[in-house]
Amino acid sequence: MKQEQLREMVRGILKEYEEDGYVIIRAEARREWGLRFSDGRLERVSTGREEGMGIQAFTPSGVSGFASADILSSASGRRLMERALALANRNEGLGAEGNTEIWKAKLVQEALPNPANRSFAEMPLNQLTEVLSSLHISLIKSCQEAIWQTSYRQVEDMWCIGRSDGSLVSYVIPRAVLMHQGTVHRDGKNASSLVHRSGTDMGILLDEQADHHLEHEAAERAGFSAKVCEAPFLSPGHYPVVIDYGLAKGLAHEAFGHAVESDHMQESVLGDNGKLKRGLRVARPGIHIIDGPLQGDWAYQPFSANGLPRETVWIVRDGVLEKGLGDIFSAEEAGIPVSGAGRAESYAHIPLPRMSNIRLVVGDVIPLPEGDLMEDAENVRQALLAREEIKQGEKTLLLVGYRGGQVNPKTGDFVFQCEGIIDIGAEALPIYRPSIFSGKILSALQAIKLGLGEETYDAIGTCGKNGQAVPSSGGSNRYLLLEADRQVSLGGEA
Amino acid sequence: MKLVAQLEELLRKFQTASDAGEYRLSGWRIFVHESQSLALGLKDNSPGSVYTPPAYREGESGEVFVVWADGKCSQAKVQAKPTGELQSWQNDLQDWRQAAYEDPDGTTIVIPAPLPLVAVEDRAIAGILAGDDEVLFGQLARLLAEKPMQAKMQAHINAIWGYRHVRTSTGLAVSYRESQYILSYSLDRLVGTGFAKRRLIKAEEWTDRWDTVLGYYEALQKGVQPGASPVSQETTVILTPSVVEEMLGQYIVPNFSGQSVLEGQSAFRPESFHKREKIFGPEFSLIVDPLRPWEWGSYLVTLEGVPAERTTLVRNGALETPFLRVKDAKRWGGKPTAIPQGTAGLFLSHRQEANWASVLKGVEDGVLILSVLGLHTQDSVSGDYSLSAPQCIRILNGHLVGSTGVKITGNFFKDLAAPSTRVAREEREVQPYLLIKTGVQSL
Repeated sequence: MKQEQLREMVRGILKEYEEDGYVIIRAEARREWGLRFSDGRLERVSTGREEGMGIQAFTPSGVSGFASADILSSASGRRLMERALALANRNEGLGAEGNTEIWKAKLVQEALPNPANRSFAEMPLNQLTEVLSSLHISLIKSCQEAIWQTSYRQVEDMWCIGRSDGSLVSYVIPRAVLMHQGTVHRDGKNASSLVHRSGTDMGILLDEQADHHLEHEAAERAGFSAKVCEAPFLSPGHYPVVIDYGLAKGLAHEAFGHAVESDHMQESVLGDNGKLKRGLRVARPGIHIIDGPLQGDWAYQPFSANGLPRETVWIVRDGVLEKGLGDIFSAEEAGIPVSGAGRAESYAHIPLPRMSNIRLVVGDVIPLPEGDLMEDAENVRQALLAREEIKQGEKTLLLVGYRGGQVNPKTGDFVFQCEGIIDIGAEALPIYRPSIFSGKILSALQAIKLGLGEETYDAIGTCGKNGQAVPSSGGSNRYLLLEADRQVSLGGEA
Repeated sequence: MKLVAQLEELLRKFQTASDAGEYRLSGWRIFVHESQSLALGLKDNSPGSVYTPPAYREGESGEVFVVWADGKCSQAKVQAKPTGELQSWQNDLQDWRQAAYEDPDGTTIVIPAPLPLVAVEDRAIAGILAGDDEVLFGQLARLLAEKPMQAKMQAHINAIWGYRHVRTSTGLAVSYRESQYILSYSLDRLVGTGFAKRRLIKAEEWTDRWDTVLGYYEALQKGVQPGASPVSQETTVILTPSVVEEMLGQYIVPNFSGQSVLEGQSAFRPESFHKREKIFGPEFSLIVDPLRPWEWGSYLVTLEGVPAERTTLVRNGALETPFLRVKDAKRWGGKPTAIPQGTAGLFLSHRQEANWASVLKGVEDGVLILSVLGLHTQDSVSGDYSLSAPQCIRILNGHLVGSTGVKITGNFFKDLAAPSTRVAREEREVQPYLLIKTGVQSL
């Protein structure tokens, strides 16, 4: 389906709406190709087209009902409208609380072109398969230490959001990701690693064919995994820590982003009586946390799922909490501006305030030359010793490879996991098995002292808030130094 | 026309038409799920809020697997088309052909076999979707009315009803009705429970869960008594059934997937199964059982057309088989097995299971882990865990004495192999409590 057809359909359904309340229509048409190689064999090629429509209808007092179906047609839209209205009225009859904030939303009418550099089907699937096969085989040949899986996924996700106030926005989000996953078995112990390269289209495969950047990274990580298998556990404690930009994205996303989302403010550790604690110093001067869409990024989304422009928000400026991520329904209650933060997994989900690309920006940055993982570890060590930020022989732990994390926004407890640890306080750069990095979010942020290397914002993931999976991304400088803090710890011995 | 009928007509045509050219098929398989659902929610004590309005959903979607005349195969996700005419599938067919690949182990279409009788439909749920939905709204109102005054409650109720269709070119044509029901709620986002079966919750199940959650909630309101001994390496760590289920999802499901084992991505090698290596204590068994009435993971036939049957993955602590889809089974040299849906359908048991209430009375020094942060970040293949559990209940001399927070560090496979590990069960819970000796420190 073309973008204009989608707009015409949504416009037509909205024209027939004659109630006194309010209605939001979300129509989505999504196309996806996926390929997977394992240990030299092509295991799967899959294609899929998914489309559908979701309608959220509001009574005049703002009580809503929602209906969705995986079919895109005017007839289906009319049926869904009736169903959503009936549920809204039923909900009102049961005494549900209304929310009329959407009435205040500004009128938006825009259709954005597809920002991809190459069309979805520019390279046919059989040719994509050949390219991916060559990349997979090249990886196997260059690194026989691990058993390898290579997968590639490309998506074209078209949205049209219409509202009964006459707003109508449409846009296309193109995404592509190449991943290498390696598993290493050593002396009865196992470890795995995952690296990825993302972009908007199959151009990432051509880039990889040209520079083999991901292949080198995958091989390097596999070598590291092999050492991790044989490594000891770290004694639990509070150490100076260096985190890579993937983990910094995790810290900013899990520890801070979720705590400033407007629907969580009643319970957030960064809220006070339901309002964001604006003006609270949460980090040193020179530290900023910024969230906003970046074109061409994995988590790019130009409009909210409620049809409002997605804005870039300085959550923390110069160490001070300034703004939160507000959607139209709860921003005012949370004491923050509406920033178009509503996102939904699909047309069949209710949007929630959530992040797009979140980055941790540091004022004090030490330049760092390009290098492989162990060279980086040595360069970081030398740079920090030269600045007398760390002491020779004092355990300073570089956490390698972000595996994900979780936070309890109410208590401020966070946990992160990495693939392995290097002690850069020791000249021999000894390696330890992964240990949990945990503590209190405010303490972790206050412990950030400086950055090393250039800003890198392509750490990608999937955010699973309330069971809805949406793409997320972000980063920081290549590495960040965190001072030792009693409220932030690493570790444990089995 | 229904999606399953559209697809059947399309695939039969390209299997038999003499002018199908490169689109000629030698075999095919269709799976279609046709469903309606009604979901209700409660956010911060507010029922039907703008983030949790009553939500109705309908859909027809599934998967197609085709084997072309040249031996290549393709698979694709599909959903109903507005017109339903065969012509509207032309673009899809072209996509599928373009995506064709060679996979000699993957082209088997199963031969029909007798199906078991399994209860997977609760007619009361069909009634809810037909409009008789007072029971769901009543449950939400009850949760709100009975919750502790000061607690902030979150809740979700979902009823799903529909049809599952499986068709194959070898003559399998199965359509059956199925239902699903989910109830979950939490108090202050600290403690909660979940119930997911193919039928509505029974009164006694409701009461049992409510009493357990309230008991834990009250214990969490108390700080640990002054002078109470902190946790130590002597402390028994007790994983609640919901945490055990999460552990099974993180460490067992990925490592017992036949595909992972065959591809070297599992903690276990094929030869470990062939040699019946002992990996757990001799009292433990692990099965996939899709035949239990009204369980979430129960079914009559897999998406590939394999009739449901019980499969033992671990017997008396020794590896038996991974779970095998049709393609994995061919590579393995065996029959396809039962398939769990996530952890649903997977059951861990122990020959010496005791009643939880009586076991609790005998715990002198323990910590009850209600939930863990970051389990999904752990390396499944290694079995290692290093987890933060900020919401736990300290147990001293058989009593829940107050809240505490701990960090636990260990290896789940070693836990299941350790002679010191004990198992307790609460009636009506799918998974047991696990009492383990593992690394534990106060937060």
